[in-house]
Amino acid sequence: MKFSNSPLLSERLPAWRPRLVQGLLLAAFATLAGRSLYLQGIQNDFLQKKGESRYERTIEISATRGRIVDRHGDVLAISTPVKSIWAIPEDAKLSPHQARELAQVLEMDVRELNAKLSSSRDFVFVRRQVAPDVAERVAALKLPGIHDQKEYRRFYPTGDVMAHVLGFTGVEDVGQEGVELALEDSLAGKPGSRRVIKDRRGQIVEDVESIRSPQEGKDVTLALDSKIQYLAYTHLKQAIQENKAKAGGIVVLDAKTGEVLALVNWPTYNPNNRVRLAGAQLRNRAFTDTFEPGSTLKPFTAALALEKGSYRFDTQVQTAPGKLTIGTATISDAHAHGLLTVAQVIQKSSNVGISKIALSFPADELWKMYNGLGFGTPLKLGFPGEVGGRLRPAKSWRPIEQATMSYGHGISVTLIQLARAYQVFARDGDLIPLSLTRVDTPPMVGKPAFSAQTAREVRAMLEMAVSPGGTAPKAQVPGYRVAGKTGTSHKLEGGAYADKYVSSFVGFAPVSDPRLIIAVMVDEPGGPRHFGGDVAAPVFSQVMGGSLRTLGVPPDAPLRPLQVAAAPAREEM
Amino acid sequence: MNTAALTSRRRAALQQRAVGEFDPWLLWAALGLLMFGLVMVYSASIAMAEGSKFTGHQSSYFLVRHAIFVAIGLVTGVVAFQVPLRFWQQLAPWAFVVGVVLLLVVLIPHVGRSVNGAQRWLPLGPINLQPSELMKLFAVLYAADYTARKLDDMGSFRRGFLPMAAVIISVGFLLLREPDFGAFVVIAAIAFGILFLGGINARIFALLAVVAVVGFVLLIWLSPYRRERILGFMDPWQDAFGKGYQLSHALIAFGRGEWFGVGLGASVEKLFYLPEAHTDFLLAVIAEELGFVGVAVVVFMFALIVQRAFAIGRQALMVDRVFPGLVAQGIGIWIGVQSFINMGVNMGLLPTKGLTLPLMSFGGSGIVANCVALAVLARIDYENRALMRGQQV
Repeated sequence: MKFSNSPLLSERLPAWRPRLVQGLLLAAFATLAGRSLYLQGIQNDFLQKKGESRYERTIEISATRGRIVDRHGDVLAISTPVKSIWAIPEDAKLSPHQARELAQVLEMDVRELNAKLSSSRDFVFVRRQVAPDVAERVAALKLPGIHDQKEYRRFYPTGDVMAHVLGFTGVEDVGQEGVELALEDSLAGKPGSRRVIKDRRGQIVEDVESIRSPQEGKDVTLALDSKIQYLAYTHLKQAIQENKAKAGGIVVLDAKTGEVLALVNWPTYNPNNRVRLAGAQLRNRAFTDTFEPGSTLKPFTAALALEKGSYRFDTQVQTAPGKLTIGTATISDAHAHGLLTVAQVIQKSSNVGISKIALSFPADELWKMYNGLGFGTPLKLGFPGEVGGRLRPAKSWRPIEQATMSYGHGISVTLIQLARAYQVFARDGDLIPLSLTRVDTPPMVGKPAFSAQTAREVRAMLEMAVSPGGTAPKAQVPGYRVAGKTGTSHKLEGGAYADKYVSSFVGFAPVSDPRLIIAVMVDEPGGPRHFGGDVAAPVFSQVMGGSLRTLGVPPDAPLRPLQVAAAPAREEM
Repeated sequence: MNTAALTSRRRAALQQRAVGEFDPWLLWAALGLLMFGLVMVYSASIAMAEGSKFTGHQSSYFLVRHAIFVAIGLVTGVVAFQVPLRFWQQLAPWAFVVGVVLLLVVLIPHVGRSVNGAQRWLPLGPINLQPSELMKLFAVLYAADYTARKLDDMGSFRRGFLPMAAVIISVGFLLLREPDFGAFVVIAAIAFGILFLGGINARIFALLAVVAVVGFVLLIWLSPYRRERILGFMDPWQDAFGKGYQLSHALIAFGRGEWFGVGLGASVEKLFYLPEAHTDFLLAVIAEELGFVGVAVVVFMFALIVQRAFAIGRQALMVDRVFPGLVAQGIGIWIGVQSFINMGVNMGLLPTKGLTLPLMSFGGSGIVANCVALAVLARIDYENRALMRGQQV
């Protein structure tokens, strides 16, 4: 028998010791159970709150921005889903090889990438708005700390054709320019939010609750007609290139509804790629740039004269000897015309004739008329940078100014104001508000400016101006009777008139029942010709003809070759 | 064959059936924890395995390995069960020497594998051996053998206590070089626990207790790494994203679990928030997914194993089998102390240490060592029962 197995020894192993040790261990287990009970049954609310603060997040669910469509429903602006790649710099410890790979997929500079990833912020965008397939390739790299999120990118299928009307949205999907800004409230949806649990790598693992469901943005139907817009764009661009002009603009209005059917400015830009964008391209000139309209204002003075009853359609005005001296200044016609009727003053565009008419009534009357036509006040269509032009109070006018004001000098307007004012002739003397969006129930009668009789008489004068004996036979449209007025003005530079011109033409058709008003402006034509009748009128003719045919407006004139006189009336400035 | 002999044999057979050859409670508790551990290791590791390049994005990476470890553990356990205790006793000193050698080898640079700054593993082909886990088993055997041999000297400080203390301090020195503070605490608890059960002088033991407390405090205070862990444990919310990070997430897991848990597989904490979810913090995942009920079951099963280990040990001592008796209770101390420390760490009762949950946490060496230990325990029980039936062992 081994010593250790001796029965004597068993007494030396005290029985209380194992019981004590066992008791201590079981007491320890009881403590564990108690502690677990405390943590899970009593302190659970506190602990859960701590947990929530670590992995519950309220995330925004972006609402899709509404589409912009033209009057026929063609899509002009649409939000397409894209991904933005972002990183938690602390987690994104990339090897030089990984960084190169990522930079290559994202088509960015490695140094730029590394600079972003070494930021001390918790969150950086590595590259915003990449195509979904690029984001997929980034995800396939399985890099630590690199994540993506869904965003929307605005896409403009018509590119530079509609750029100024539509404007664009910023990277945050908020309107910055054009209709995108003007109608932001309708277009922008209201983002929703929901509470989720995210794992430590930012993946959503559980949807806790929806706090607010997103409200999608509303689609906006513009008054714009894509076909007319395209016509306007093409012909304006062509005219500007042919005349080596600096800039230009064209506005097409529906005379019946006040809808803006087309609006083009030159230079323009591609809203889908705004990397190298100059301020000049961005300017929505038709709204933001004013110019001295020149002779295009003459019909309004004539209309005022007819309205006052002091002149009739055929009242004769002596314009000989083609000069009129007021104080120290002299107004002159390029061509001495002699005795002209009011209608001929408009047709031949005589500065002397219209000045004499303007001086026959108080300055205040002229001011009231211009003000009533909307000059000097912004149209407030919601475009950024809309201006009202300059219309000084009548009290400060000198007599010479009252005269020049009648043929559009000393006053400045925007192209859209000018086009809108011509409503009074295209309609029966009233003005209706313009609309960027489609108008389904147009106002029957607007704010009256002149009587219907006056409007019809001036319409006839304006038709004469486009006839072979007028200043703008090139504005004629085959098959339609057309009315309109040219304008050519010196540009003001530093308070003095420079040897630079703004050529314009405003008109409407068909005269028997006017449907469209088109205003064309060409800034600084650099070619041999600079008269509105040569530069702007052909654009008007082409766009008007195409638009009327597009709209299916029945012709009101026999189709015959246009009669363009060998030597049309010399235009005045 | 006479009638009397027949009757006595029949009685013996009846007695044998009544007593049985195994302790069913021990068996079922151990197997239950192993299987439960397998399920929870899978649940805790699934997201991590899928999201890691290291595992090749296989979600069952840890499950497969853990299942293999459990299978190896069960086979090793069955083999260990065949080994009589007297053989274990002969083996004890040599096993301990082997254990010390392995602890030395693991410290050799480029031989031992280092993970997270701790050099604890020996790469052996496809698996990594963790000598400190085996050392726990060897320490039980060695301390029991030592105490059984030196029962007469238990009253002597120089002959009974000092040699053991010297051995444990040496082993402790090696373990702290890795560092593996948790294993040191467990091994010291096993060795001195067995000495205490073996009847060491109570005054010596009281002195030891004081020295041990002072020693541990010093060890903690002198190492910034350990001190940080302690500070994190004192108030995890004070620096919840720094020192208290691990513990605060473990506690959140408990709080989220409430009574019945968020459901198996539904833990959020295991989704990269809770580090070591499949090893040291497995209980936190159990607490979150299965709630207080799940934790209580685990605690209860460990308590059951400890209770059975001490009962088996007592039975052995009653029939004067000192070595088996001390081994059984030593295994009880081991499983009890290690599981208590691990669970206490999970619940914020104790400072964070690198200790796994026996039988449950992921880790091959630990599982196999635990299985062998419980097989030895079952063998002691088996031998006890055989002796009670009057058989020789």
